[in-house]
Amino acid sequence: MDVFEAIKGRRSVRKFKPKQVERELTEKLLTAACWAPSGGNIQPWQFIVVEDRTILDMVRKISPGYFGETPLAILVCSDKTKAHKVGGTMGRDYLSVADCAMATENLVLAAYALGLGTCVVKSFSHAAMKEVLEIPQGIEPELLIVVGYPDATPAPPRRIPLKENTYLNKFGQSFQHTEA
Amino acid sequence: MTQPRNTGNDYLFELALFLATSARNCIDEPPLYGPFRLLDALSRLADFPEHDDSLDKDPFLKEAKAFVDEKKFLVTTDVEGFTQAADELVERFAKELKRRSAENRNKK
Repeated sequence: MDVFEAIKGRRSVRKFKPKQVERELTEKLLTAACWAPSGGNIQPWQFIVVEDRTILDMVRKISPGYFGETPLAILVCSDKTKAHKVGGTMGRDYLSVADCAMATENLVLAAYALGLGTCVVKSFSHAAMKEVLEIPQGIEPELLIVVGYPDATPAPPRRIPLKENTYLNKFGQSFQHTEA
Repeated sequence: MTQPRNTGNDYLFELALFLATSARNCIDEPPLYGPFRLLDALSRLADFPEHDDSLDKDPFLKEAKAFVDEKKFLVTTDVEGFTQAADELVERFAKELKRRSAENRNKK
């Protein structure tokens, strides 16, 4: 699939079919995530793949932003200890979050290309997530990605046009874009 | 993959947990997520009779839930539409309140 097709076609899916995601596909998603850019090549991401139905149900119940029933959720965490050791305070406080976000974007685009639907969720209880998934100190949950086969795909939301957020050479100087 | 039917007590606990986690998250989340979570809580509350046979199924609440579920995600794409939907929901509740009040008065 063309990368632009995936970028423009991906949606936040909140209704899923009751169908399992094959492990082979899950591994492809994680591989895509791991090829994201990483500041200082720290690669601070840690992934918790949740397939167990009982645990998945608990994760859903502590996440107000988790809609629909999915067979799979992947929690993207950052290793703050490693990020600090290698990248200093910038690594711990900024790069680790940015890297996890970029890994997440890779993952959801790969999922779309494989026919899967995803929704990236930040609205979960941080404290409850650490308790339920037994996450140790120094590892911080960043984003939860719910994954499944889409049953309904929402219409694309409005995007701010380039003329409203893009400048040429200096802030405020008009960027004459040619895109229709 | 569909979850087994919860008992009333399980469902009550799940609702309480939803409210607790939502309350904590609302401290940090965008302000409009507050009304969004409340509407979502309404939707979940309306499901209560599905989990507790001692409660009557309420057609008005069932309709209100369907309306909320149809409109709630406008919060991320169309704030004006979300606000209009919340207004319309409250109007529907007000009319229903009047209808129920009149019905109760007539019963006395």
